[in-house]
Amino acid sequence: MRIVVCIKQVPATNDASIDPETKRIVREGVKAILNPFDTYAVEEGVLLRERFGGEVVALSMGPPKAEAVLREAVSQGADRAVLLSHRAFGGSDTWATSYALACAIRTLGGADLVICGKQAVDGDTAQVGPGIAAHLGWPQATHVMKVRDATPQTLTAVRMHEDGYDVCELPLPAVITVVKDINQPRVPTLKGRLASQKITIPVWTPETIGADTAKIGLDGSPTRVVKTEPPPARHKATRRIEGTADACAAELVRELRKRSLV
Amino acid sequence: MKDHIANHIYHVEILPPKQDSEKLDADLAAFAEKYQRTLESGYCICLTDNAMGHLAFQGTEMIQELDLPVKPEQVMIHLNTFHTKDNLDEILRACVARGIRYLLVVSGDGSDRLPKLQPADIGAEGVESVTSVELLRYIGRTHPGAFNLGVAFNPYEPEDHEFAKLDRKIAAGATFIITQPVIARNAVVDKLLATCPLPVALEAWMSKKLHLLSQAVGYEIPESTVFDPIATLRLLHRTYPRCGMYLSLLGFKTQYHLITDTWVS
Repeated sequence: MRIVVCIKQVPATNDASIDPETKRIVREGVKAILNPFDTYAVEEGVLLRERFGGEVVALSMGPPKAEAVLREAVSQGADRAVLLSHRAFGGSDTWATSYALACAIRTLGGADLVICGKQAVDGDTAQVGPGIAAHLGWPQATHVMKVRDATPQTLTAVRMHEDGYDVCELPLPAVITVVKDINQPRVPTLKGRLASQKITIPVWTPETIGADTAKIGLDGSPTRVVKTEPPPARHKATRRIEGTADACAAELVRELRKRSLV
Repeated sequence: MKDHIANHIYHVEILPPKQDSEKLDADLAAFAEKYQRTLESGYCICLTDNAMGHLAFQGTEMIQELDLPVKPEQVMIHLNTFHTKDNLDEILRACVARGIRYLLVVSGDGSDRLPKLQPADIGAEGVESVTSVELLRYIGRTHPGAFNLGVAFNPYEPEDHEFAKLDRKIAAGATFIITQPVIARNAVVDKLLATCPLPVALEAWMSKKLHLLSQAVGYEIPESTVFDPIATLRLLHRTYPRCGMYLSLLGFKTQYHLITDTWVS
């Protein structure tokens, strides 16, 4: 089974800010990390490879420094990695990005399964995974919390919803996006980290992947960010419960029940 | 541990490089240098296990990958409850294979990225979570007689609670104790020494930044506090001559040469 895991380098969330002029996330001078949801995607890829054999290829699009998250994926267990990096990719929105990633997957010779984190914590769109499926014409399952079963031909996924879950069977090849409940990512070993430093990560350009340059970068991106503003502050109310320990506990339970929290 | 104290063998804490190190090669080299220097000094190397919940490489894998020598009396591995069962067993196997005999068993600080042992993983019954007590029992059961098992003692926790916890740890197999940082005579430590038969090493805080201890001791230490770690270490030796010393955050460039003649009888 060939599994391609699409990952992204994102700013560490606590450090992120928005440029008021361009409405884009300020990335310069900010610590960059592997998108947290993608860690679960890599782990699921490695778990499936351990069950069914094959290989896990980590794929990312970004500036040259995004190579760091690909090495992290390799230290976590991916077999190899590919970086899409070229000025022509710059400014790509989710549609153009997913197009480029789909082209790269074809260039890899296809895949049995593509796994993405459910969303990147910088843009929070959750559109790239579904976009890849659309560009490849493959079935998709989003918010997957468990891969129940897989064969060379099918994959059974449990999808998380706000009020429950559903189970769907996908013919392969397919694309899934995963949530944090799906697994507990392993902590990379020193051996893995040292191995990841030694591998060569090929850098692919639009030409390498046969991408139509009109469909990537700013020209290929229909999204226009008109306005960005922070969400309204959440109202926090504090109520102090006085009395004996028993009375306080009883009142606390009553209050939590009233709000359907227990 | 009794031999360590009798022979004035310091316990020197060394932090393995962090997982997200951006200069791993340099960090590995610095770690190896500290390790070798401590070993050659005859002290006991103490390797932390994701201290403060910061993701770092394991002590055993550092020794394996860097092919560092082990002298059984001179290496102590910290082991906490934030591992998978497979990972825990692998660490214990590696310790046995390398001849490591000292383990400091602690509950640990944890992190979102670290798995937590579950009671069922290690056959612990009647508990909702795994603490150092359950981990001690597991190690004692799976590797009888293979290790000297140390535990932590926190003189800043509510006293009755801490002593009751210590009793459980001793019943589970602990054979020595290492305290939280002590910077002067401490009534709870006095009581510990008066009542507990196990050998005790005091953690000596070797950073000049005493305010970093605020959370551990439970009260605010002003950032402006002037603190002399070497003078405090001498004071601790005079005050607690029966105790070993566990040196945390020791400056290898600025302090290491100063500790050689600090422990005098």
